[in-house]
Amino acid sequence: MSLIVEARNMNKKVKLGNDHELHILKDINLEIEEGEFVSVMGPSGSGKTTLLYNISGMDKVSSGSVKFKGSEITSLKEEQLARIRLNNMGFIFQDINLLKNLSLIDNVMFPALVSKGADKHAVNLKAKKLLKMTGIEKLANNTITQGSGGQLQRVAICRALINEPDIIFGDEPTGALDSKSTVEIMSILTEINRKGTTVILVTHDAKVAAKTERVLFMLDGNLVAQKKMSKFDRRYENSKNREESIMKWLIEHGF
Amino acid sequence: MFFKIVKNDFKRTKIITTAVFVFITMAVILAASAINNIANLIQSMSELQERAVPADITQMHSGEFDQAGIDQFTEKHRENIAMQETMVLLTLDGRHIHFGKNQTMSGTVQDISFVVQNEKFDFILNLDNEKLEVMEGEVAVPIYFMQYYDLKIGETITVKNGDYEKEFVISDYARDYEMNSSLTSSKRFVVNQVDYDEMRKFQVGEIEYLIEFKLNENGDSLAVQTAYIEAGLPANGPAIDGKIFLVFNALSDTAVAMVIILISILLIIISFLCIRLTFLATIDEDIREIGVMKAIGISKMEISKVYLNKYRMMSVLAGTIGYLLSFAIVNLINGNMKLYISSDLSGNLKYVLSLIAPIMFYFMIVMYCKKVLKRIDKISVVEALRSNIMERGKNRKYSFPLQKNKWFSTNIYMGLRDVWIRRKLYRLLFLIFIVCTFIIILPINLYNTMNSPKFSTYMGIEKSDIRIDFRKTDTITEDFNKLLEEIKNDSEIVKNAAYVTSSYQIKNTEDSWDYINIEIGDFSIFPLEYLEGRAPKAEGEISLSYANASKDALNKRVGDEVIVKVNGKEKTLRVTGIYQDITNGGKTAKADASLEINKEAVLWYIVSMDVAPGVDIHEKMNDYQNTYDSAQVNDIKEYTQQTLGNIIEQMYTMVLGGIAIAVMIIVLITVLFLRMLLSKDMSQIAIMRSMGLTSKNISHQYLAGTLTVLVFGIIFGAFASSYLGEILVSIAMTFMGAAKIELINVAWQTWLLCPLALIVIVGITIFVSCKVAVKDDLSVTLR
Repeated sequence: MSLIVEARNMNKKVKLGNDHELHILKDINLEIEEGEFVSVMGPSGSGKTTLLYNISGMDKVSSGSVKFKGSEITSLKEEQLARIRLNNMGFIFQDINLLKNLSLIDNVMFPALVSKGADKHAVNLKAKKLLKMTGIEKLANNTITQGSGGQLQRVAICRALINEPDIIFGDEPTGALDSKSTVEIMSILTEINRKGTTVILVTHDAKVAAKTERVLFMLDGNLVAQKKMSKFDRRYENSKNREESIMKWLIEHGF
Repeated sequence: MFFKIVKNDFKRTKIITTAVFVFITMAVILAASAINNIANLIQSMSELQERAVPADITQMHSGEFDQAGIDQFTEKHRENIAMQETMVLLTLDGRHIHFGKNQTMSGTVQDISFVVQNEKFDFILNLDNEKLEVMEGEVAVPIYFMQYYDLKIGETITVKNGDYEKEFVISDYARDYEMNSSLTSSKRFVVNQVDYDEMRKFQVGEIEYLIEFKLNENGDSLAVQTAYIEAGLPANGPAIDGKIFLVFNALSDTAVAMVIILISILLIIISFLCIRLTFLATIDEDIREIGVMKAIGISKMEISKVYLNKYRMMSVLAGTIGYLLSFAIVNLINGNMKLYISSDLSGNLKYVLSLIAPIMFYFMIVMYCKKVLKRIDKISVVEALRSNIMERGKNRKYSFPLQKNKWFSTNIYMGLRDVWIRRKLYRLLFLIFIVCTFIIILPINLYNTMNSPKFSTYMGIEKSDIRIDFRKTDTITEDFNKLLEEIKNDSEIVKNAAYVTSSYQIKNTEDSWDYINIEIGDFSIFPLEYLEGRAPKAEGEISLSYANASKDALNKRVGDEVIVKVNGKEKTLRVTGIYQDITNGGKTAKADASLEINKEAVLWYIVSMDVAPGVDIHEKMNDYQNTYDSAQVNDIKEYTQQTLGNIIEQMYTMVLGGIAIAVMIIVLITVLFLRMLLSKDMSQIAIMRSMGLTSKNISHQYLAGTLTVLVFGIIFGAFASSYLGEILVSIAMTFMGAAKIELINVAWQTWLLCPLALIVIVGITIFVSCKVAVKDDLSVTLR
């Protein structure tokens, strides 16, 4: 399998005030293969989200190299990065981050409509299909003030999928959801990954991490350990066991 | 603590705070300067009046003259009259006055006369407001001519007429209370008695009398005027009430002050809008902090104070700076006053009166801020702390779904629907665009109107290619008849009409007799546009100018009758129409050719003519000017321009000023508005960028939205300046004699050039503002 994301000696520093500098990511080396389902764990302030933003090109790294599908992205211009985000990447956030003046289906359609040569009718059909897949097709024309957190996060997933990205980045996508919604969202993401889309997500929750096949552990800006597992298949494996094994592993590494 | 909060707040909103500060300072400067100017005007006018001692009643007369009768009349009315003096004017045509390098004053529309200084009152002053004393061989030139022909002290003018030729050295400028203004059509040159006597001996000019009365403190002006007419004393010219000179002198300065006050009010309104924008943005940003402050028990009064104190301090500072600067800035606008009214504007009144501006603005700003800050009261603690969550559950009608978009690109559609969804917010920008378009287009329309040949309609003159005026020469009647004969034989003239204006007595509303100038001729050849009714075309018909027909003059409407004394006999005439006229104080009349000419009191002759197609009008004008050098040959545009004088130039300055101010406001407000909008939309922009929209895509959305607002603003602004502007201009012109001004709208300027220029300016502003705004790392806003 080929690499979809490759980071070498990646550093991120942020200036705070005049002389003070915060070193958030320290010499990170990371490889993610196409089709992988990866989770990033670690205590608050360890640099998990910053890692996600920097490997996706949303933030500029301070030094080091980041390659996406074999091409260096640290030297790309804003316009080029935007094009990659539009066509090859999908994002899901803890705060959901939908556009507040658009209906749910319009939120899903929007990224596809701004792509060059978009066929409005085809986009509409595709959006409806995605909403159906996530079980919220009846809410399509609602505004975002009329949905629950779980429903809105599904809309966000549909939006991330509308342009058929190669990879989905999730920044604690279940962080603000109740346990039932968390299970539902994770099963959708698992299904997406099963169909071939790479997924990488940041989480605090070992239950969520248990559904992924590799767990990265971050501490104080360093990628200190990673735990490789098989792809999760509930037919053959108990999620609880995976969860316990991850917890044990995390504690071993100082979580 | 307080200073710390203000300082931090300033740091956060540097640009917008600076802009508001500049607006307030400018508004105070302008308002204080205008008030300063008015204070100066009040003080210097009273000083000028004190020094010049103007007449309360001035009766003009030419022809036979009886001073003994006037003396007797004066004695008889001692209870009203304090003093009487007759000034004998030696009037001569401008072509007899030579100056510079072979130049003459023949082009002027002003009546020129040479006089000696009065003894009792109506003194003509020098620039130090002292009574002029002119030595032999010297002349004091009216300020109007000094400006118009750029005459300097020490230079010479030469009076040449027949055998008489004499060079005079300009020793002074004449500040003439009664005839300073360009609106008064006569100007007096002051010479020494010896020179004056010599000029009279050589009959250099025509004699005209100014029979002047100075009344007692409580003297009844109307009673004296009526008694004078009834006594049958010399009075074949107009009688002028002294109050009109005060109006003429103060008119232009008052008008300038009014315009400046209007601009400063506009600036204050714009400051208010900026303050509103700042507050909305800051409160939006600070909503959580406000919640925290409320949660820990700080009262809403205290919270408001945090925001209010900044503006209190700013108003005090801007007010002080503006007040002090106004004393320097006022010098830019009081040049005219310094020249015409008083060179010394050192009175103290202005220091006190100018304080009104900063104090008033301070209270206005504080009150406005308090009103806007009431919004804080409405924010509940929970709402403030959980502003995102509170948004949920609200049911809003969803309009303009993306699926329905068939015509626009998605980004442009997003911009357009944003304007609709947040129309309350954009309303502010819409108003500013309307105001700015108005500020640009109204002066342009006004300038075009004044420059257009159609403007003659408001001057009571018919539109024609050439207009020839004969005024006050010995050979006036012969010249006039000779011209008519020549025109008959001139095959290049296709149409012509002759008009004779003479003075008649007319019965006023109080049944006593007034003087009126009536123009007689055939008014069907060059038809004039009438406000009401039509031109007189049969015997017994008359039309009146708007000012003459108005309530405070003859109070007549179409169909009413007036009684006119023609060569001693009373004649009843029916009013057929009312037209607009801003010349001759707005009071004129026109009657059919069948009305007898009052031969004793012919004032002027006018011939209007149209040349055949292909004939060079200016060549024709030159031909006639060379043959009749006593006549004034003008095309209508030239005539309008001379009569309106520097008003057209001032209008041009106003057009440029209007454009500059409007562009400045439009750029500033657009920048401020966008900053507010972008800061409000920061998270939404970050979401779009995370999806893969470029800053260009996002700029397109704001461009589409704002430019749509601009286009509507331009449309409304252009209509407002055409219709509302027309009403405003008409109201302003009513007192001059034109009640219905139709502004000329040059389509390519109003609907193409102005919109295009504004669209380009606003477009660039939006593009730059958006570019600056979408630079940050996305994680900063998205987390």
